[in-house]
Amino acid sequence: MTRSWLIRAAIVVAVWSALATFPEWSAAWESSRFAAGIIRQILIFAIFASSLNLLVGFAGLPSLGHAAFFGGGAYAAAIAAQRFGTDELVVSLGAAVVVAALLALVLGFLAVRAVGIFFLMLTLALAQMVFAIAFQATELTGGSNGFSGVHRPVVFGIDFNAANDLYLLVCAVALLVGLVLWRIATSSYGRALVGVRENERRMRALGYDTRTLKLSAFVLAGALAGVAGALSAYEFRFVSPNDVALGTSVAGFVMVLIGGAGTLVGPILGAAVVLSIERVLPSQLPAQMVLGIVFIAFVVFARQGLVGAVRRAVRA
Amino acid sequence: MIDIRELRRDFGGIRALAGVDLHVPAGERRAVIGPNGAGKTTLFNVVTGELRATAGSMRLGDAVLGPLTTWQRARLGLVRMYQRNELFDPLSAVDNVLLSIGSIAGAYRPLRSPRRAERAEAATVLERVGLADRRAVAARALSHGERRQLELALALARRPVALLLDEPTAGMSPAETERIATLIAGLDRSLTVLIVEHDMDVVFRLADRITVLHEGRVIAEGTPAEIRGDRQVHDVYLGKAIEA
Amino acid sequence: MTFEDALQQALNGLSFGALLFILAAGLSLIFGMMDVVNLAHGAFYMLGAYVALSVTRATGSFWAALVVAPLALAALGLVVEPLLLRRLRGRHLDQVLITIGLSLVIADFIRLRDDWGWGATVRSLPFPAGLDRSVEIAGSDYPTYRLFVIAFGAGLAVLLYVLHRRTRIGALVRAGVGDAEMLSALGVDTDRLFTLTFAIGAGLAGVAGVVAAPVFGLQPGMDVDALIYSLIVVIVGGLGSLSGAVAGSAVVGPADTFGKVLFPQFALALIFAIMALVLLFRPTGLLGRVRLGR
Repeated sequence: MTRSWLIRAAIVVAVWSALATFPEWSAAWESSRFAAGIIRQILIFAIFASSLNLLVGFAGLPSLGHAAFFGGGAYAAAIAAQRFGTDELVVSLGAAVVVAALLALVLGFLAVRAVGIFFLMLTLALAQMVFAIAFQATELTGGSNGFSGVHRPVVFGIDFNAANDLYLLVCAVALLVGLVLWRIATSSYGRALVGVRENERRMRALGYDTRTLKLSAFVLAGALAGVAGALSAYEFRFVSPNDVALGTSVAGFVMVLIGGAGTLVGPILGAAVVLSIERVLPSQLPAQMVLGIVFIAFVVFARQGLVGAVRRAVRA
Repeated sequence: MIDIRELRRDFGGIRALAGVDLHVPAGERRAVIGPNGAGKTTLFNVVTGELRATAGSMRLGDAVLGPLTTWQRARLGLVRMYQRNELFDPLSAVDNVLLSIGSIAGAYRPLRSPRRAERAEAATVLERVGLADRRAVAARALSHGERRQLELALALARRPVALLLDEPTAGMSPAETERIATLIAGLDRSLTVLIVEHDMDVVFRLADRITVLHEGRVIAEGTPAEIRGDRQVHDVYLGKAIEA
Repeated sequence: MTFEDALQQALNGLSFGALLFILAAGLSLIFGMMDVVNLAHGAFYMLGAYVALSVTRATGSFWAALVVAPLALAALGLVVEPLLLRRLRGRHLDQVLITIGLSLVIADFIRLRDDWGWGATVRSLPFPAGLDRSVEIAGSDYPTYRLFVIAFGAGLAVLLYVLHRRTRIGALVRAGVGDAEMLSALGVDTDRLFTLTFAIGAGLAGVAGVVAAPVFGLQPGMDVDALIYSLIVVIVGGLGSLSGAVAGSAVVGPADTFGKVLFPQFALALIFAIMALVLLFRPTGLLGRVRLGR
């Protein structure tokens, strides 16, 4: 238990507590409900972006198909609740994780055979297949109309229908996922992923089965994306093919890069930035265009994202 | 320990290895020398599995290497040092070595940080290669000689059974060369070492036996004294290197 | 399926394949030369179609559009490459990321330009006069425009082949595909060559956009569809070569067409299976020269 660890833990606890109680202490503010909604969505996408970060930032696998697992998880949560006739969190969230992980296993098995830009192309194409399935399997997914009427979950009789209750659930899950990723990042597994990113050839020469390592990261990231997807289904009470679309994959990638790939805080910041642009910008303004320009600017001038820029500034 | 028979490797029409036989008993220090293009690095690449053999067989102890992947061979204890450094550039020297040590216990420990024992071992290895005071420096910030030392450290940390050293002293100053040579000479005698080198001083100092490669074939093999006196080797090298 | 139906579908498959070829050729060319997968390729295709829409409305001539749109896209490429891509020379992944940003900008730009007659509503481009009727083939009517697409695609393939093999520019491109660094060391201005290649690639995407527009119409999301198809074609056929684009489109075009007719539920699975098989057994793609992975 080093001192810096304690300081970091303290900051995390403080920030999270403030966040989790936000609806309460901001109740007097007239935009409180709106802001709470935005924060919920930011947290959901922070989970999504953080899961992608495991692939892009840690393992160095630039995936442009991550929405397949986000949307896949969302659909699974919605469909499972309907088919099993229960709103228990365990059922829908469990279904989301299992389906997303299996999907990631299948897609990942093919995808990890490629590296770099080819991997990117492949994940893009494979995820589009999933999109097309979601679009066409109308009896299952509702097709282009989407799956509406998704219930918010229930845990041991406590339901999360109210916005503020869902808010707490999202905060709790976000914290959990954050802690898991924090642990992974500092573990031997996390280091191995970084090793694969930096020099896969050497990793193999040292005795690491890099292909399986990459696949495991792919599945883990997919499962976590599925969690985010389930939360999204609860949040919007709606799942659509848009949740598995390229646009969502790209948004996730943009979040990771703008925030800072390979860092823990980066994806959260990135999610906050992207969602602010998308939701807070007036609808007349071209959100996607702004996002595209901001993204290009970051790639050219601040490749390490906001976290990288802050680190550079601190060092200077 | 290392048993190679009739090893061939073709690249299209080019015979990089044209039937190499190499038998290195356990614990021996065997140097592989030959002019540029003789196939030395290709030999290493085929033995470690990064290149597929066109024909022939390879064994490490009792294990047949042919069907195994590079990482499977490494897990058996066949560890290599590269001629051109393959390091983890943005990571510190100690983090580099930790990755090597981490491979022994396996990668799937998502809830464990490297144990104290592993860190201690990393420190020891860095000490041995002379990088103890540079442990926190990023690999890309090290000098060429230091990077070479780190490259060796990565191989040693893996606790090899058979160590393949590809020009360990390439590009080093005399002092650095001396340090590395002493280090290799002091390696435990349970370790089998196969070393490709151009620096003849180092070769004659370290090798128990020398194998000479030329155009993908073994043209001579023997003790340093025998090789020094070998006429064919002499011709192949145009007399320059051997006389040194 | 009757013989007449099969013939119809075969022709459909060929025309779709021809279209895919025109689309994939540009992507393959840019990658082969610059090691960049231009993910704005679909957006360029889309822009080409919308430019054609405006030109056709203004001049009444499809053929004018067929000339102007590719030129407009090429001009865009001439601007974009030095402005955005050149500064990231050598950082291939980052260049790819920039093209993603570019595609977002272009697609949204089109979506917003209602005042230009673009916007988010579905639009259509009429068949050019002279190609708007049908011809009798094996007892049933087949649209002449689709025959035109087949001929055009084939003609373009031949033209590109000739340019590639028989001209100085082609030689430079071939050399650049092999080793751009070497070319630079030999004194060739690779910067200008890259810019030119990117412009040609963009222009080809524009051509594809114009030719496809009367058949598929114009709507938001067409850029993504085009991008996906072109990626699948080069994954299957091989990235970086014209022959790869030909091979890929020759497989994907008919497969997609017949798949949609014979088993619409599984048409997708068929394409997926083809891609998977190619990846598992020939990772370079059927005629590819670039290794997909390790």
